[in-house]
Amino acid sequence: MFRFSLTAVTFFITLLLVLAIGSLFVVPSLEDIRQNIWSPEMRFSLKLSLITGLTSTVLVMIFALPIGYALSRFKFWGKGFVKTIIDMPIAFPELVLGLCLLLLFGNTAVGKLLNSAGLNFVFTKKGIVAAQFFTALPYAIRIMKSTFDYVNPRIEFVSRSLGYSMFETFINISLPLAKNGTLASTVISFARCIGTFGTVLILAGGSYMRTEVLPITLYLNISYGNMGMALTSGIVLMVVSFIAIFIFEKAEVSI
Amino acid sequence: MSFFRVDNLHINLIEFQLREVSFCLDQGDYMMIIGPTGAGKTILLESIVGFWKPEKGRIWLEGSEITQELPEYRNIGIVYQNYALIPHFTVFENIAYGLKKKTKNGIGETVKDIAASLKIEHLLHRKPETLSGGEQQRVALARSLVVEPKLLLMDEPFSALDPRLRRETRHLLLDVLARRKTTVIHISHDLNDAWALANKLAIFRDGLLLQFGTIEDVFRRPQSRFIADFVGASILDGTVVANGSGPCLIDVGDFHLTSIDCTDPGKKVQVALRPEDIIVSKERPSGISAQNIIATRLERVVPEGRASFLHLAVNETELSVLVTNNAVAQLGVSPGDSIYAMIKSANVRIVQ
Repeated sequence: MFRFSLTAVTFFITLLLVLAIGSLFVVPSLEDIRQNIWSPEMRFSLKLSLITGLTSTVLVMIFALPIGYALSRFKFWGKGFVKTIIDMPIAFPELVLGLCLLLLFGNTAVGKLLNSAGLNFVFTKKGIVAAQFFTALPYAIRIMKSTFDYVNPRIEFVSRSLGYSMFETFINISLPLAKNGTLASTVISFARCIGTFGTVLILAGGSYMRTEVLPITLYLNISYGNMGMALTSGIVLMVVSFIAIFIFEKAEVSI
Repeated sequence: MSFFRVDNLHINLIEFQLREVSFCLDQGDYMMIIGPTGAGKTILLESIVGFWKPEKGRIWLEGSEITQELPEYRNIGIVYQNYALIPHFTVFENIAYGLKKKTKNGIGETVKDIAASLKIEHLLHRKPETLSGGEQQRVALARSLVVEPKLLLMDEPFSALDPRLRRETRHLLLDVLARRKTTVIHISHDLNDAWALANKLAIFRDGLLLQFGTIEDVFRRPQSRFIADFVGASILDGTVVANGSGPCLIDVGDFHLTSIDCTDPGKKVQVALRPEDIIVSKERPSGISAQNIIATRLERVVPEGRASFLHLAVNETELSVLVTNNAVAQLGVSPGDSIYAMIKSANVRIVQ
């Protein structure tokens, strides 16, 4: 009986989710979707989403690999503090993260310094990348850390005893052994980047055909009452997440 | 100057600690380390390779200090219990991995040579996961040996192998080592490994090196009851009675023993006896060279594989004797019978 009720609850919630996801695909007509996808706004949004999403994902992985490895392997002063701060954006509302970034990149010394280096993140396309980067980074780091945790350090020890430096060992041994986790981390980061809304809205602004990525398109069109466009961007986002979760499950890593 | 020297080494990894570890090895020595789990043995090996920084103390190899040297420059090899083979490399690539760092030429032949001497040449194209434990172990040995390390460290390399495979691997290893004169430090739980391979023995407990010496020395003169238990010797408390021209006479309570070791009369001592050094007989023997003949009562027979331990008692004092099962059958004794135990003075050693 116990087992039955728990399974029933699980199925009930799954069913609700399936219905919710399904309604996204059932409500609009195919013709609508086709037209919407080829509209200039959607093409702009899709293209911008892909470009910023890919750029952010690459940047995220460039940072997540070394940070994940450092957190997994090394003991250093202040490690506990570092872990807490890096993990914080996971629990943070995206809007608050966006606000914090807006303040930092706005009128502070850091913002001015970056500005003079040509990096203006406020209400710009670069801002979209920055927002996506900080939203996705904690997830990528977590996955990379647990991936490296599963790489037997003794294999690395043996490699070093055979004459290879730490860096060579990382390239020859640790990275290839972490390839499933790296793939999963990349895919999840990409899905997170594409789907980031709150952070992008606050830092880059949600201006029509300027900093408009897919979630912004969904939001703007819902506000105008243009359901067709909103649903289409919803479907595109959903497909991306589906593919991401599918690859993630295949890669068999834990967070 | 000895070939390899560890001087007053302290390591602190919170969960494991090593304190005041010092010992020296000559080139070609084979040192066996035994001790209970959690004694810090693996940490010692990993510190010698250079994975952990010592808190204090120094390590020398071939006359130069290597305490601060990076592992990749030490030329010390390590073999783990679980082999630690590189899973995405073939057997050939695993063995060639270290060679590639050192040389460009003749890698193929060198790998084939070592593979042949360890009888794994037919496995070179396979991936480690498709090999049995014994095969993986030989690949791990080949990978470490092929770069001709100055010092080879092995952490329970045979513990996952069945007894027959163990003996086979020991022979193969001895053959390869003899040709290269490699100095070895080997951790094991199996005393047979020590007898078969080593010439030096170290006993560790709780991060301390309790005793270090030649195999003979540690097995026959264990410095404490704990070590005696570990190496299978029995220890008796006694007092030196006479110290004349002949062997030393020691009163161990219920009987007397003569020993080639000696100290001042009246002094309290501990003597160590090894169970395989004692011979037994049903009748009182005559005309034999053993100086100690003790009348005892057989308490019980404890079979242990192809041999048995006889537990003998003289009032309160107990002795254990190792005999073959065949000998037990021929003796035809049962618990309660009286039996004579004989031991040479040369095998009665004073330890303290």
